[in-house]
Amino acid sequence: MASNNSQVLPLEGLRILDLTVVWAGPYATQIFGDWGAEIIRVESIKHFPATTRGMVMRPTKEMVSQKGSLSAYPDRDPGKRPWNRTASFNAHARNKKSMTVDMTKPEGQKVFDDLLRISDAVIENNVPVSMDRIGVNWERVSKINPKIVMLRMPGFGLDGPYEDYRTFGSHMAGVVGHYSVMGYEGESPDMTGNTLTADAAGGAGAALALAAGIRYRNHNDKGIFIEIATAENFANYLGDKILDYTVNDRLASPVGNRDVSNAPQGVYRCKGEDRWIGISVNSDAQWDALCKVIGRDDLSRDPKYSTASKRYSLHDTIDQLIESWSGGMDAQIAMKDLQSAGIPAGVVMNEEDAFSDPHLDEVGFWETLEGAETGKNIYTSTLWKTALTDRSHKRAAPLLGEDNEYVYKELLGFDEDKYAEFESAGHIGMDYEI
Amino acid sequence: MVNGSKILPMSGIKVLDLTWHLAGPYGTRLLADYGAEVIKIERPTEGDPAREMEPFFQDQKGLEKSIIYQYLNTNKRSVTLNLKSKEGKRIFLELARKVDVVIENFSPDVMPRLGLNYDVLAAENPGLIMTSISNFGSTGPYRNWQASELTTYAMGGAMINTGHPENPPLYIGGHIPSFHVGTVAAAATAISILGAEKSGKGDHIDLGAFQIWMGAIDRRQSYLMSHQYTGDISTRPWPASALGTGIWQCIDGYFMTAVGVGLFPRMANMIGASDLLNDDKWSTAAARSDPERLDESIALIVPWMLERTKAEARDAAQEHGVYGGPINNFEDLLNDPHFQHRQFFEEVSHPQLGAITYPSAPFKLHLENSKGTEKVAAPLLGEHTDIVLTDLLGTSTPELEKLRKDGVV
Repeated sequence: MASNNSQVLPLEGLRILDLTVVWAGPYATQIFGDWGAEIIRVESIKHFPATTRGMVMRPTKEMVSQKGSLSAYPDRDPGKRPWNRTASFNAHARNKKSMTVDMTKPEGQKVFDDLLRISDAVIENNVPVSMDRIGVNWERVSKINPKIVMLRMPGFGLDGPYEDYRTFGSHMAGVVGHYSVMGYEGESPDMTGNTLTADAAGGAGAALALAAGIRYRNHNDKGIFIEIATAENFANYLGDKILDYTVNDRLASPVGNRDVSNAPQGVYRCKGEDRWIGISVNSDAQWDALCKVIGRDDLSRDPKYSTASKRYSLHDTIDQLIESWSGGMDAQIAMKDLQSAGIPAGVVMNEEDAFSDPHLDEVGFWETLEGAETGKNIYTSTLWKTALTDRSHKRAAPLLGEDNEYVYKELLGFDEDKYAEFESAGHIGMDYEI
Repeated sequence: MVNGSKILPMSGIKVLDLTWHLAGPYGTRLLADYGAEVIKIERPTEGDPAREMEPFFQDQKGLEKSIIYQYLNTNKRSVTLNLKSKEGKRIFLELARKVDVVIENFSPDVMPRLGLNYDVLAAENPGLIMTSISNFGSTGPYRNWQASELTTYAMGGAMINTGHPENPPLYIGGHIPSFHVGTVAAAATAISILGAEKSGKGDHIDLGAFQIWMGAIDRRQSYLMSHQYTGDISTRPWPASALGTGIWQCIDGYFMTAVGVGLFPRMANMIGASDLLNDDKWSTAAARSDPERLDESIALIVPWMLERTKAEARDAAQEHGVYGGPINNFEDLLNDPHFQHRQFFEEVSHPQLGAITYPSAPFKLHLENSKGTEKVAAPLLGEHTDIVLTDLLGTSTPELEKLRKDGVV
């Protein structure tokens, strides 16, 4: 089918100025970079963006020795320039470029203006007050380039009492009601822990918003200003439960791993440490099949379990029956046995499951890239494939300021003297000067 | 036009929408929110199975009463068409010539079995974008496997990291796995539209929910990279296992914070313990990384929180730049002054159900003199069959009567 793979990438030729931090914003530009847009991260050697390029600028070896860290350093060594080695940044910043400029200085502001003139879009997800401080707003941006698309991603929005509220994805999720649907039944929310799903949602929503904005510009020959509040975007992921409240006055409460009507559904322990399988039975036929797989054919004939609502009322008992089987099973084998019988089942995958998964391997989900200060590593590929585009990642995440020569000299036409001047003035560099 | 005469970002895009249930309809709703004309193809008499999905309006069953159907299908038009009939297929192919996008979220074998795979559609309309959404994508060994939202999140998502270390891994809740897939599908479609409008050539987008979640930035991506850096296998962290980070009990509920060793001074200021920062044990980020500091900090934070309401904790956190927020239910959310100020909730009038309060679309377009987006209630089953077939294909009234009699529409 895919005989013609010569099609250019859909976003080829677009230049995006990227002022994003942490996860939600960078996820949007990750998607855009994956599909061909030129992403220029605008950074500063005078400001360390905590959590974006590491929790602290120069952690000690001891500080990064912790096992199971969400954003580890290669070989648990922060290295000479830790900001280039932290896992979270490296994972999302593939295909992006990095330049540095100190926007608190007038000549830095001029550099930013000159970049605005030659860019298609600018995107940021900072606390609004931080952007006010360096004068990044629609009024200024649209005056410099009336055809630009500006996408701002404040946590709670650009107005209202929470405008400048500092918040991560987990907190925004909590505010809009996520813990009403996520949690162990009957247990308090501190048992639930944190998720950062609002960031993933915000990044994907922002990618849609950015594409929509570019299309608006293409057809109207003028720019557009779009605002996606991460909290409001995520509230849409809970919209059906919000309507159940506004329409039926019913407040949702968590049901753990169970479904609201089908049974059984759960996450069951398998053989080994922290090994689990998720199973959902969505029909009586699947229940019969499950009984066979777990060696309890007798139960499928037992009228006590013959309908979903009967099974729901005996859910605890059924959970024990399933676990007495799964507890002795290898999780991967259990998944294959259940799937062979037509039952929705999936290993709760850890990193080893993911990297050894035959499906992900066959669909080309992994790509290997070499980073100058991180070595060779495997990156997730694009979130989707298309029939006519043959693409691969162009490069690993950029070192801080790696693309300064390209941006200042090639794009902005700086000569050697002016470049050197900006180096000594604290704009251009590859090390933080703080 | 559904969104009036305003020029919205997706205005002029016609979407032939075969999606049903949850993920696909969420994606096409987003395209409709921002101006695309979405023609939802439904089965005659039954419609989208989501019409029979709980919860219902005042708990009364009925094809026009499913809350979730109402939520997912605003701003769309409903056309009934029997794709299994020869005549239905012919009409579908004629419609496919007139649109920019076809979206479907059937199992990967359904469209080929109907004889409506991408090659067939592209032969009719070379500029067409076809978006296919499935559990595992259309290729690979799992392509015909079964999945639920729970198993999708188990395999693809960060479920191994969600919940308490002594409990089983925990589901993300609600229909979040499906809605996220819908968002990514809408983004993919919009991105490919940009390409097609430039090149004149369409494309076939192949999305799998498993892959979308495996590539999500919600912890998965970071842990996959961290694992390569250290060999560690991640699991569920203990509550409050990072400095100043946790879910704390207050007078009237729970409040979440996150600061870490770097920003802990803000937390110290908030809880009136700024003296600590003069102490060598607390003065630097490195010193604060000592595990003993964690226990000491918890002993200070717990009583401070217990004496405050969620609102008081929120105000203090805001004042001191501590990242955090209250844990709310939907009643709290609807009454929250911030979301009220933003006019985030809007009423949509439905001919049978009356006014229903919805959350607004996920992003705001700052257009001159306009809020940009507005919602029109989800369509009645087949509400737009006649007008769409008449407008797009020139179908006559007698022809429509025959199609109806034959069960095609």
